[in-house]
Amino acid sequence: MSRQPSEVIRLDLPARHSYLHLLSETIAELLRQVGADNETLIYNVQLAAHEVCTNIVSHAYRNRRDGEGRIHITLTLYPQPPRIEIELHDTGETFDPELVPQPNLSEAQIHGYGLFLIRHLMDKVSYTSLPDGNRWHLVKHLS
Amino acid sequence: MEIKPRTVGNVAVLAIEGRFDANTAPPVQHWLEQATATPGARVLVDLTETTFVDSTALATLVSAMKRCQQGKGEFALCGLRRPVLMIFELTRLDKAFNIFVDSEHALAVLNA
Repeated sequence: MSRQPSEVIRLDLPARHSYLHLLSETIAELLRQVGADNETLIYNVQLAAHEVCTNIVSHAYRNRRDGEGRIHITLTLYPQPPRIEIELHDTGETFDPELVPQPNLSEAQIHGYGLFLIRHLMDKVSYTSLPDGNRWHLVKHLS
Repeated sequence: MEIKPRTVGNVAVLAIEGRFDANTAPPVQHWLEQATATPGARVLVDLTETTFVDSTALATLVSAMKRCQQGKGEFALCGLRRPVLMIFELTRLDKAFNIFVDSEHALAVLNA
């Protein structure tokens, strides 16, 4: 796999729900630039990245005052094979995704879909607990 | 995001335009709590112009549906765009909700 990016965008967002539409718009614009204009593909990448951010706002930064934390996001397009990689870093509380129960899909749940969506909408998802926070790495192939 | 409530016959309808997510869910939740509070309520959420639905929006809709069902009411969705419908299919919520292709079909059934 090529590690030579064709396009890189970095965002440094205040950890507030009200700014997350900027991430969605950036993802859509970035993917359209390379002709990846499939509506469902764009939506799925947008939603997975959005769910990571809502998790950061609601859980990693739950003990911070509103907007005090930040989310550092790097969106990278690679040509071979065509893919988008999204790295998200925060300095909030760490958590263990393995301890988050899977939703019971046989009946409608009120909570628990966020992590499920992240894992199922992307081709690769990894989470790393760091001394200074959390790092997520998402990969979606574009072909 | 903009919400447009209206009443058609016996059905309380809420159309949601734009993003329905963690940032915009509170007014929708507030409207749904009121609309589903009456026993036997018939409620339709029109997602025709909804461009984005996240897990908070799903939670808001599931809560409203369960509240409505507890009151022996009817709760339905309509107009889901393809990517949004695929999220309902992925989470199998398409089996839990009464989903119509558009408001015309939904209102014909809910007002019958």
